[in-house]
Amino acid sequence: MDDYISKVVFRYVMLIVIIYGFYVILHGSTSPGGGFAGGSILAMGILIYFFVFGSHWRGKLREAPMSVGIGFLVLGATVEGMKFLIPHEHGPVGTPGTLFSGGLVSLANFCIGTLVTCAILSIIYLLVKED
Amino acid sequence: MEIDFSKLLLNYPYFIAMIIFCLGCLCTLTQHNLLKKVIGLNIMQSGIFLFYIAVGNIKGGIAPIYDPTLPEGTLYINPLPSTLILTGIVVGFSVTAFALALIVKLYNYYGTIYAPKIIRMR
Amino acid sequence: MYLWENMPFFLVIGSLIAAFVMAGFARWKKEWCPYLTIISVGFSFILSSILAYRVAGGEIINYYAGGWNPPWGIEMMIDELGAMMLLLMTGSFLLIAIYSIKSIPREIPPSVSGWYYSCFLLTLSAMMGMVATNDFFNLFVMVEVTGIGACGLVAAKGEKLSTEAALRYLILSSIGATFLLFAIGFIYQITGNLNMSYVAAELVQIKDQYPVIIWVTISFITIGLGLKAALFPLHIWLPDAHSSAPSASSAILSGLVVKVYIVSIMRLYFLVFGLDVFTGTYMRYLILIMASLAILMGSFFAFVQVNLKRRLAYSTVAQIGYIFLGFGLGTVWGITAAMLHIIIHAFMKVCLFLSAGAIYYQTGKKKVTQFTGLGYQMPVTMGAFTIASLSMIGIPLFGGFISKYGLALGSLEANNPYFIALIVLSGLLNAAYYLPMIWQAFFVSQPKSQPKAKLKLDAIPFSMLVPIMITAAGVIYMGVFPGGALAFLEKAVSRFLLL
Repeated sequence: MDDYISKVVFRYVMLIVIIYGFYVILHGSTSPGGGFAGGSILAMGILIYFFVFGSHWRGKLREAPMSVGIGFLVLGATVEGMKFLIPHEHGPVGTPGTLFSGGLVSLANFCIGTLVTCAILSIIYLLVKED
Repeated sequence: MEIDFSKLLLNYPYFIAMIIFCLGCLCTLTQHNLLKKVIGLNIMQSGIFLFYIAVGNIKGGIAPIYDPTLPEGTLYINPLPSTLILTGIVVGFSVTAFALALIVKLYNYYGTIYAPKIIRMR
Repeated sequence: MYLWENMPFFLVIGSLIAAFVMAGFARWKKEWCPYLTIISVGFSFILSSILAYRVAGGEIINYYAGGWNPPWGIEMMIDELGAMMLLLMTGSFLLIAIYSIKSIPREIPPSVSGWYYSCFLLTLSAMMGMVATNDFFNLFVMVEVTGIGACGLVAAKGEKLSTEAALRYLILSSIGATFLLFAIGFIYQITGNLNMSYVAAELVQIKDQYPVIIWVTISFITIGLGLKAALFPLHIWLPDAHSSAPSASSAILSGLVVKVYIVSIMRLYFLVFGLDVFTGTYMRYLILIMASLAILMGSFFAFVQVNLKRRLAYSTVAQIGYIFLGFGLGTVWGITAAMLHIIIHAFMKVCLFLSAGAIYYQTGKKKVTQFTGLGYQMPVTMGAFTIASLSMIGIPLFGGFISKYGLALGSLEANNPYFIALIVLSGLLNAAYYLPMIWQAFFVSQPKSQPKAKLKLDAIPFSMLVPIMITAAGVIYMGVFPGGALAFLEKAVSRFLLL
């Protein structure tokens, strides 16, 4: 998409969207939202960049989200699995407004958020791959 | 069996959810364009999401966030259906992504995503 | 004994983690994937054998995830039927994984061979979860994941037909899952619980209060899970998907994937709603009509097919009719025969599809008209094919006879002897389309222009021959010694009917 207006507008909108995505991921343990919601928002921000400013990401960098996603999937699954395997283990309750007071849940949220971002990015990259 | 219409009006979200569900089902089953079929699937799921949110809603309840400063006896809405729907959205998203990937592949093979044309070309 | 207590959890999650590890290996070391899959499935097989041993000792295993007791936590319950299905699924997957080592590189493009195993393990894990779970929402998630994994197994071939079939399968099965989700919403609304045991206890008290909602719920469940289990008018996705998939995938899809949905339906009908609601909402009669149509029409459609795998796929439609007929009868022998037919049909269909794959591997033949002289070229494969076909027809001493006999007894118990005529007619139809293939393979002589065929062993790899032989032996074993399985299923049936 080669459009001057969208380039000017989305240059600023994109930053806000990405920051908001990180906000939702990091505050997911103590407020509404969390890994999936924040990860989708973050991926949308990156995808706006991808669609508006053209597909500059070529070659190996395009393959990166899938590998990173698989890595975070294993990490997140381990953390979430610990919650299931240790009886009644859910970590501290946490106080609203702070970042890492949720303990294990905060870590799991971060993993899930990154994983969702990578998954959405790799799905879209696979779909638009020209071959 | 008699139907109390005032109750139907009171519970209008269920009504709307059912209508959206039926519209989505109709769209999926009757549209010939494969992309529209997938969109119909998403409309169907949206109807169900509305239904679940309506099930969990309590009139006058607030968002279910734990806050020790609130007074005793504050009414929260039921968070369980919302949580379930989050899972439902994730599942629906993955199904949509898979269906779109298959449609892209079919487009590469046949050059069209119009189902009758694909069947004729087979 | 940490592993001992958390065994159901490890059973499901082990395959799930292995599926995603396999996704990593698919990008890095593709040629290791089959062997790692065999190790993972073998681990699951050992775990489920231990579970089945524990269940056979009279113990019903309840596992509460994270130590949260129901109705708050997720409960996994393994009863007799569940343990039997777990053992059957992991055993069959182990055999098919061994078969896949040599068969899969011939049938799917090399770039996706690693991903095939990822889908394979994903399907196994979700199916085990579906059988083991006692929670409604967990059931929905597992149903969806099974659908996605099974579509991946179909689409792995990468041809035009299989891609199209996979898309149709995906769309129809997600419609089914959506109906199931709606039904779960209704159940949650009227009972306030998602745990199946609690829902059942609640439904006993309130079923007279909400007759319409229960009626809608049970019909949505029938549509949703029946669409996935390919009950007759809803079977339209099955022949394409099962015939265009790679042979190993077809064996999984036809032999096992459609069965787990049937197990879920049986659980919901008998354990959650109970026989009263099942009969009172007229759903039982609908099931009986649809099953009878499935038996007749599936056999007729199979009769006119020329492609071997397509014929087998339509035969699956008919055999699913038998299972639905069995539990639609609602009697002790009917349900026993339905459960038994799940096992026996899994053995037969896996054997038949693997033989079809072996025939394609050695000779490249796909049509039933090209069978002339095959009995001399590949005697072991065709022998197994013959055993499974005879069992499909219902000859005594083969497994299929036992379940048909049980169905006949069940229909006598239900005071409905018309179904015996149906079963006999269907057996004749099965004979009409299975016996000509066998006759042509063994007894029709080659044309004189070709050199005379000599009897020699099959030219397919040993790792493909062994699973075929084991499944054929399983068919004969179930036919000659059905007592062990029947004794195992007796308790499950008495729990189902509240005897």
